[in-house]
Amino acid sequence: MDEVIRAKGLSKSYGGRPVVRDLGLCVGAGEVFGLLGANGAGKTTSVECLLGVRKPDAGTVRILGMDPQRERRRLFQRVGVQFQEGSHQAEIRVDELCRETACLYGRPADWRALLARFGLEGRERAQVKQLSGGQRQRLFIVLALTGRPQVVFLDELTTGLDVKARRDVWRTLEELKHDGLTIFLTSHFMDEVEALCDRVLILRDGREAFSGTVGQAVDASPCSTFEDAYLWFSGEEPEGPDGDEEKGNVR
Amino acid sequence: MSRFKGFGTLFGIELKLNVRDMNMVVFAIAMPLVVLAVLGIVYDTDPAFEGAGYSFVEQSFGAVASIAICAAGAMGLPLAVADYRERKVFKRMKATPASPALILGVSLAIYALYAAVSLALLWAVATLAFGVQMRGSWPAFLGGWLLTLAGMLSIGLVVGGLARTSKQASIIASILYFPMLVFSGATLPFEIMPPAVQQVAGVMPLSQGIQLMKSAFLGAPPDVAAVPLAVLAAVAVACTAVAVRFFRWE
Repeated sequence: MDEVIRAKGLSKSYGGRPVVRDLGLCVGAGEVFGLLGANGAGKTTSVECLLGVRKPDAGTVRILGMDPQRERRRLFQRVGVQFQEGSHQAEIRVDELCRETACLYGRPADWRALLARFGLEGRERAQVKQLSGGQRQRLFIVLALTGRPQVVFLDELTTGLDVKARRDVWRTLEELKHDGLTIFLTSHFMDEVEALCDRVLILRDGREAFSGTVGQAVDASPCSTFEDAYLWFSGEEPEGPDGDEEKGNVR
Repeated sequence: MSRFKGFGTLFGIELKLNVRDMNMVVFAIAMPLVVLAVLGIVYDTDPAFEGAGYSFVEQSFGAVASIAICAAGAMGLPLAVADYRERKVFKRMKATPASPALILGVSLAIYALYAAVSLALLWAVATLAFGVQMRGSWPAFLGGWLLTLAGMLSIGLVVGGLARTSKQASIIASILYFPMLVFSGATLPFEIMPPAVQQVAGVMPLSQGIQLMKSAFLGAPPDVAAVPLAVLAAVAVACTAVAVRFFRWE
């Protein structure tokens, strides 16, 4: 399997407080990789260090064999990024934001087709701020895919989407994965992670607490469901389930 | 060349967004025309003073042309820059093949365009309605105009680039914009102010720009331009250096 993302010994502190500590990971081509952890565990900083938009204190990152710091412009021709909170101009319309994004790439995708694929057809003339939270979230996935990337980073992928919209996004991502897209995501929804991710890495206080498949996470914990295993590894419920026979009650 | 890929598309869309916002249309396009019209109606083709070889409106033309430059540099640009940082537009650009500098360059071009459009409209109205003629040299006047624009936009970059929040940027912009607009001679003719106010107001970069444009427009001897030229060039160089060194993209 070709290696698409590799990080070694990644560390980052803010004002002497370590946020990411000695993080290492490797993602292969066509894999869906989930970076998980409680709020404040260092997910966003890790992603920003991987992408090179933040400079790590130590460690190396290669994405598609490129150094994101030194080869930023070449790298982002082939890497798409969806940001956690929609960052867009106040009065911009959907079509304008799509055109602004498409014009930056060498061979952009047809953004109208992408909008349709994510259920946003007919919304081209709407202002971005007038979209519902779920529509905006999907628009930012569209923007991440506009440059025809080989890898996408999706931060808090389906936060704010209703059940149906989440399922639709999952299905589309499955299709993209079959086309060979490598997906790096962070998520708060363990059902989503179970449905999509080939492998996960769980962060706890900026350090790797677990790395492997969803099944391995359950096996390596005293829990019987992935959600419990996640809570156990991430330190949010360090006691683990009360009894051995617990069947995945949700908190 | 690929560094500027998308410049044209971005320019078109960002200009549309800016016009939709209307602030600059009012403060950089409409307001200078209103000021010119008021001066023209009050003074018509009267000479600037008894025996002057030029009219009062001609004497004021450089000042009126500086209103759009002031709006662009002290208000429009710093607010746009602070807004794009706060909305993380710069940060998003960082994760594309373009760079945040591309969209910043687009903003600079848009504010320069406002100033240029304002100048062209002012000239058209001034010549057609109030018989204004160029008494000095166009190249010198346009050179002074460009230098004033560069100086004011560089101040805007510093304010927008260093302010922590949009709120802070808008406070600083107001502190810069309104005094310069009123006391530098851009709206109230410098000549009618008391000497004490003239001395204090003369320090402002926009006053220097207006002196420069005025002397070029009226064909004053070149040595009059020496001080404003030096002050404006120093402001432009210093502010650009500070902006480049300390600009905060996020």
